[in-house]
Amino acid sequence: MFISYYTPKAILTNEDLEADFSSPSWTASKIFRKTGIKSRHIAKDELTSDMAVSAANNLLNEYNITPSNIDFILLCTQSPDYCLPTTACIVQERLGIATSTGAFDYNLGCSGYIYGLATAKGLLMANVAKNILLITAETYSKHINHMDRSTRTIFGDASSATLLTEMDINKIGFFTLGTDGKGAKNLIVPASAMAIPQSGVTAVEEKDESGNIRSLNNLYMNGPEIFAFTLRVVPWLILETVKKNGLTMDDIDYFVFHQANKFILTTLRDKLNIPEEKFCIDVEELGNTVSSTIPIAIRRAYDNKVIAIGDKILVAGFGVGYSWGATILTIG
Amino acid sequence: MKSEDKLTLIAKAIQIDTADINPQTELKSIEEWDSLAKISTIAMLDKEFNKILNADQIKQLKTIQDILDYMQ
Repeated sequence: MFISYYTPKAILTNEDLEADFSSPSWTASKIFRKTGIKSRHIAKDELTSDMAVSAANNLLNEYNITPSNIDFILLCTQSPDYCLPTTACIVQERLGIATSTGAFDYNLGCSGYIYGLATAKGLLMANVAKNILLITAETYSKHINHMDRSTRTIFGDASSATLLTEMDINKIGFFTLGTDGKGAKNLIVPASAMAIPQSGVTAVEEKDESGNIRSLNNLYMNGPEIFAFTLRVVPWLILETVKKNGLTMDDIDYFVFHQANKFILTTLRDKLNIPEEKFCIDVEELGNTVSSTIPIAIRRAYDNKVIAIGDKILVAGFGVGYSWGATILTIG
Repeated sequence: MKSEDKLTLIAKAIQIDTADINPQTELKSIEEWDSLAKISTIAMLDKEFNKILNADQIKQLKTIQDILDYMQ
């Protein structure tokens, strides 16, 4: 399994946020204390297709893979270049991948990488494809209102590219998946497609009770309710996945959850009694990059020698939808 | 658990002094009562009292007493 990633050049620091919001109670150090995040990368002029191509090129170059070897592209994004055509088709052309390739976008966020792995495993096992390029590419910054502290503080832009081949089939374990549309309204860009088309009316900005400003064109996140959902669902998700794979919690070498923010991660870690050294917390430099957090965290953990070949990693994504999923990967 | 200890748990979650709150205090009058304070309160109630609030319960929190009512 080969993973590479890409982050746009522009960086938004806590100091930048402090200057933008100029509120005495919202200082750079307070932002860090509350979120565990110091900086996030922001895609300015880059589109999702640009970010996808950059991550894929990093992968092809780092691991000496020729584009002609790829026979399927899966692209996870919630900020596609267009509703149509499919951004993955645009990426195929830009990467010079053969036209005999299959390709499609799928619309998921925090759980996206898990669903990508599940789909890829299915395609490989059914002999639909042999060399799958799984890309996550997200630019939530483009959905976020400049004066909305709740979301601007948390989210960062990034993309990742993973190559999955037949050799990876037995390195990807059994999956536990879940969906609850009751949570749809808690993490949403209301005027982002057909339900509420964008107009002058949807662009009208309003201030919420915390002083955050957003319009229907912007990302809205109900932090407390999403947190409660995570506490209700994720511990069960982890235990169920471990059991389904015929293992115990002690058999897992490392846990890589979706890197939402430091507080939810430490709360989950403590609730599941996972030792600190086995639990990935890697939000400080990149923030919450949505579907890219898990692959990036795995790659960084490997580069930093925190994990090694042969290690069993439990990966779990949860959030927007609500959607969740987990599986166990053997690093190979 | 004594009431003072419960108030201390709440104050710690909101990150204010225990002396600054009493059961009748309205949450909207507390400057620090933002999303992060709500999240910390949800976490505290789960950890100490095994209760995870749902969306409606979170919305209906208006006073410190409303939080204390879950602390049994």
